[in-house]
Amino acid sequence: MTETLLLGRRAVREVFRYPEATIPTLFIPLFFLAVNIGQVSKTFPSSTPFLKGQGYVAFQLPVSLMFAVATATSGLALVTEIDNGYFDKLLVAPIRRSSIILGRLAADLVRGVGASAFVLVAGIALGARVETGVIGALVIVLLSALFGVAYAGFAILVALRTRNVQATNTSFLLFFPLLFLTPNFVPFDRLSPLMETLARINPVSYVIVGLRSLVIDGWDLGKLGVCLGVIVVMGVALTALSLRAIATYDR
Amino acid sequence: MSHSTNTTSPSAAIEARALRRTFKGGIEAVRDIDLTIEAGEVFGFLGPNGAGKTTTVRMLCTLLPPTAGDARVAGVDVLAEPAEVRRRIGVALQEIGLDPVQTGRELLELQCGLYGITGRNGRTRAEELLELVGLTEAADRRIKTYSGGMKRRLDLASALVHSPQVLFLDEPTTGLDPASRLTVWEEVRRINDTGTTVFLTTQYLEEADKLCDRLAIIDDGRIVAEGTPELLKGRMGHDVVSVSLEGADAAETEIALRDLPGLERVITATDALALYVEDGAGSIAEIVRRLDRERIEVGAISVARPSLDDVFLQATGRRLEEGEEEPEREEVGVP
Repeated sequence: MTETLLLGRRAVREVFRYPEATIPTLFIPLFFLAVNIGQVSKTFPSSTPFLKGQGYVAFQLPVSLMFAVATATSGLALVTEIDNGYFDKLLVAPIRRSSIILGRLAADLVRGVGASAFVLVAGIALGARVETGVIGALVIVLLSALFGVAYAGFAILVALRTRNVQATNTSFLLFFPLLFLTPNFVPFDRLSPLMETLARINPVSYVIVGLRSLVIDGWDLGKLGVCLGVIVVMGVALTALSLRAIATYDR
Repeated sequence: MSHSTNTTSPSAAIEARALRRTFKGGIEAVRDIDLTIEAGEVFGFLGPNGAGKTTTVRMLCTLLPPTAGDARVAGVDVLAEPAEVRRRIGVALQEIGLDPVQTGRELLELQCGLYGITGRNGRTRAEELLELVGLTEAADRRIKTYSGGMKRRLDLASALVHSPQVLFLDEPTTGLDPASRLTVWEEVRRINDTGTTVFLTTQYLEEADKLCDRLAIIDDGRIVAEGTPELLKGRMGHDVVSVSLEGADAAETEIALRDLPGLERVITATDALALYVEDGAGSIAEIVRRLDRERIEVGAISVARPSLDDVFLQATGRRLEEGEEEPEREEVGVP
């Protein structure tokens, strides 16, 4: 446990010392938020039934939150250390290999809290109102950060399997179809039949729907439960695969 | 020349028997090597790039499982108890393993923590090591601002946090300037003086010669010579006369010189002949006379005591490093 705390503290320190790794990941969600609102806010005025009196920014905010927290930063940090030899230094220390991954995920949690809080504040500044109040806002930040931790396992897995910086970097691109094959612009029932089918089998859809419910609908424990369930299952699966990859690394 | 015995030495710090590593595609990086390194030795593993040095170190450090064979380090089986081996060894690999975002002090304190030295003890140990490697003033600067020599010294310090029984140094001076190389040598001697066994790989002949109590020469995955530097050089004979061929036919030149008085052996490299003779200086005139008589034009002729490069030449048929460790030679121009 001590080694996980030590490596986690180091990774968190890295987040603050290396802001150039985090700041670009905040630009994309803000860009998408501004562009999407600008393009369709007249199409979907606040009188649109699914907006329940709010502006379109409230509907888009969860999508931007997903963008802000789903990064390949930890995977890139790991593959860089594989490249520069520090990873070997850690492997030859008498520690559990899992602590190397868990330490990285601790940094993802901190980065996710910061990034989602920033995007949430930006959304509120653009006119969104969190229907569930301050507690709801805190839950939004927490769930978003947890989603970031869950998703980080994917880039970590790619880093360990490929040991290649380029491959790890481009692994982020996989998130685009996951994010866009969702009810990101309109609810499920407004999508074409094919898109609705694809969106309904895409687990990320339910994370967006859960976060959106906190902004627009109020407390909907059913949607929140599914949202949390998806995050937990995804996190456990990807983290387990990453832990297996590091356990069998060069063995 | 590898050991053929299968017995184990109770005082050995490192023992390997028939250690082999074959990579995907059938690449045999290490081929059934045997090693016995006594506690307290500085043991050199000398060889060119790609000879199998790093692969051997990685197997002994538990970073890479052997394809076959077995090894014990600090009395512990590397395959059966890798975690226990890691507690007893320190490792500075060829790639300097440092986190550039941290400061030197933070890195050492973290390293202490990973070995269970936490709190005040960790801070004190980090301070001691910073002083040992002369980095106290730079301790609170980020590692990315360090020079290559400073990084190498910090890497060495990070391998020492837990006072390991066995220290593995994989090419610790590669890429360093001569002054930094000397500093690392001093550190290695100082560490060894405290009783730590040092296993050091190098491609530098001078480093192996000056630093190591004993060494093995590895080439193409096999140990081709082993012993103390003096013993290995002593086996080569008295003096070595190098004749640079510079276009002359090697076979013709060898025939012209083969019954030279006092000649002990001749080794032909790609562009030179090495003549091992009883009296190098006294042989020069006769060599020149014979070459002149046979109308063979060669380049420079030089005389020196046999070096580890000569040992390497004899064992492998080629020089280890052109231009590395050129001993002082008495050169004679040939018209």
